[in-house]
Amino acid sequence: MAAAGTCGTGTRSTGSMVAAASTNNVTSFQRRGPRASGADSGCSRLVSIAGTRPSVRNGQLLVSTGLPALDQLLGGGLAVGTVLLIEEDKYNIYSPLLFKYFLAEGIVSGHALLVASAKEDPADILQKLPAPLIDDSYKKECDEDVCSHKMEPDIKMKIAWRYQLLPKMEAGPVSSSRFGHYYDISKRIPQELIETSKWHGFFLPEKISSAFNVESCSLTPGYMKLLQFIQNIIYKEGFDGSNPQKKQKNILRIGIQNLGSPLWGDDICCTENCDTSHSLTKFLYILRGLLRTSLSACIITMPTHLIQNKAVIARVTNLSDTVVGLESFIGSEKETNPLYKDYHGLIHIRQIPRLNNLIYDISDVKDLAFKLKKKLFTIEVSQEAGKVVWYSRLFNSS
Amino acid sequence: MDLLPSNRSPPPPAPTQGSPCGSASSKDSVEWEGRSLLKALVKKSALCGEQVHVLGCEVSEEEFREGFDSSINNRLVYHDLFRDPLSWSKPGKALPGGPLEALRALDKRTGSGPATIALDSLSWLLHHLPCPILCQTLHALSRQDSCPGDTLPGEQVRVLGLLHEELHGPGPLGALSSLAQTEVTLSGTMGQASAHILYRRPRQRPTLQTQWFSILPDFSLELQVEPLLESQPPSDLHTPSVDPTTHLTFNLHLSKKEREAKDSLTLPFQFSSEKQQALLRPGLGQATSHIFYEPDAYDDLDQEDPDDDLDV
Repeated sequence: MAAAGTCGTGTRSTGSMVAAASTNNVTSFQRRGPRASGADSGCSRLVSIAGTRPSVRNGQLLVSTGLPALDQLLGGGLAVGTVLLIEEDKYNIYSPLLFKYFLAEGIVSGHALLVASAKEDPADILQKLPAPLIDDSYKKECDEDVCSHKMEPDIKMKIAWRYQLLPKMEAGPVSSSRFGHYYDISKRIPQELIETSKWHGFFLPEKISSAFNVESCSLTPGYMKLLQFIQNIIYKEGFDGSNPQKKQKNILRIGIQNLGSPLWGDDICCTENCDTSHSLTKFLYILRGLLRTSLSACIITMPTHLIQNKAVIARVTNLSDTVVGLESFIGSEKETNPLYKDYHGLIHIRQIPRLNNLIYDISDVKDLAFKLKKKLFTIEVSQEAGKVVWYSRLFNSS
Repeated sequence: MDLLPSNRSPPPPAPTQGSPCGSASSKDSVEWEGRSLLKALVKKSALCGEQVHVLGCEVSEEEFREGFDSSINNRLVYHDLFRDPLSWSKPGKALPGGPLEALRALDKRTGSGPATIALDSLSWLLHHLPCPILCQTLHALSRQDSCPGDTLPGEQVRVLGLLHEELHGPGPLGALSSLAQTEVTLSGTMGQASAHILYRRPRQRPTLQTQWFSILPDFSLELQVEPLLESQPPSDLHTPSVDPTTHLTFNLHLSKKEREAKDSLTLPFQFSSEKQQALLRPGLGQATSHIFYEPDAYDDLDQEDPDDDLDV
């Protein structure tokens, strides 16, 4: 190091203690690394896995959820080792989209996938993933959208002159394609991408034999089998560091669809006081333990609108790390409300984890709405609702 | 899967290429019974040439077959759970294993070609089986058989179920609704039956439709237009679209003159060339600023410079 070198010469000239080392022209400050030590690499260098980045706030390793807008709301991305719980909307139209974005992001970043479902075959789910967009085609999409908007009388904001020099916030894809990609929902993912990716599927009707056994343990058999499967994959593929000779570390992305629905054998959606009410909560607890000790991230979609016992929903929320709720306007009175005419539903960020932190990373904006365009799923601040609320609050108080 | 007649199309379309298999549930109540609709749909399927399997739990076989003519009855395969649900008689006669085995047997039935399975009724099955098991079995029934590459579009299974919605709480109703692809709720006014049809397509918005119909004695389905009601219900109760900008204490809209005045106003932090000139060259016409200072009693006004004492 240049600084150490000058320091060494400096001490030599003033005749201090380092004079002994000065004979070799080498200081006692040695740089750790392959150049100096020549030992095996990896101990002091940062672990860099494709598709991840450290959080700027607390250094936690983050993966992208596949939707850069959602990444921003969650504070940069989903932390490795945590669970993202999506509370499904009533007719289950929009939550499978978020699920698919997560899996597609895994394929594009080269992560391993584990897809579990009781309703659909995982191979079919993978076939229906959206195709990734390369940068210039996204720009074209953006321009098309801008032109197709009806031209409102353009009320230009008069900005104070100091701020005109500030760079604009870039909403498009970043040029480096390492974190957070954009997808086109109207196209399917190319077959070769699926074939080159490593994925494991868990389809419940195939794994459960048709014998109707009454299990005495408190976990329903479907959950038990799923946990064993996940544990097996984590151990076999070395995501928990159990195979140290693997040269390249990778992330395992786990996706579980419709957890808690009757198709998993759980009657938490059917009755209010059910016998196996602790099955789901135990599953989440054990799953979180598995995730914390391995390099994996999990997305779960759950039909919480069907769960009859509200206490269970609160427990499930506490046992998950990040909870995002989707509320669609279909069939509700908000559909005809002019405030919400541009949007298809509201998105609620119900919980954000506090990892290695003393404070939560909650964004200031709470009125978030989503819109499903032909090719994109966008999350925006619901401007109309925000505007009117602001006006009335400001002037009614005076 | 379009078993239920929609507004203007002829009833009902044969299984077409694009229609996925799925399940449909009809919800009825005490006032508007659904069995006749179920029988009408069964008749339609049989007339299309499909094989129809009926799992009868609530009414006897004779009563179910009553009203159908012989061609339909030949296509109808009746699995009887009504006569001997607990299989007390010799196992040769009734279905052993109870309702679950009966459902599973339907799943493994031999025979090719499109088929319709009618469950009469789902409420009976819900009372005798735990809800998750029933949901899993129904899901397995309506899924296409997993023979890779072998499934033709014509080989589809349609599952029709009759549910008495007053007998169940919101939990099982919600669970079964989430499974069903089409849900028909029966109601009506003034002697005229109507069906509210909620049709969920796999990745699209669900559509809600109301269809008025009546069932003739030979169980054919007749679609009708909405009956004119003499006393118009106050449909204007649905308030006109909410306009949040009314009843505000301030003005949200600008008139043309106000807008012009607003545009021509220069804001204090806006940088224009006049401002730049004014900053660079302090003008002569500018009034110099004065400071007026009134010392109060405690002020020490010493004209000497205290720094003069310092010896630096």
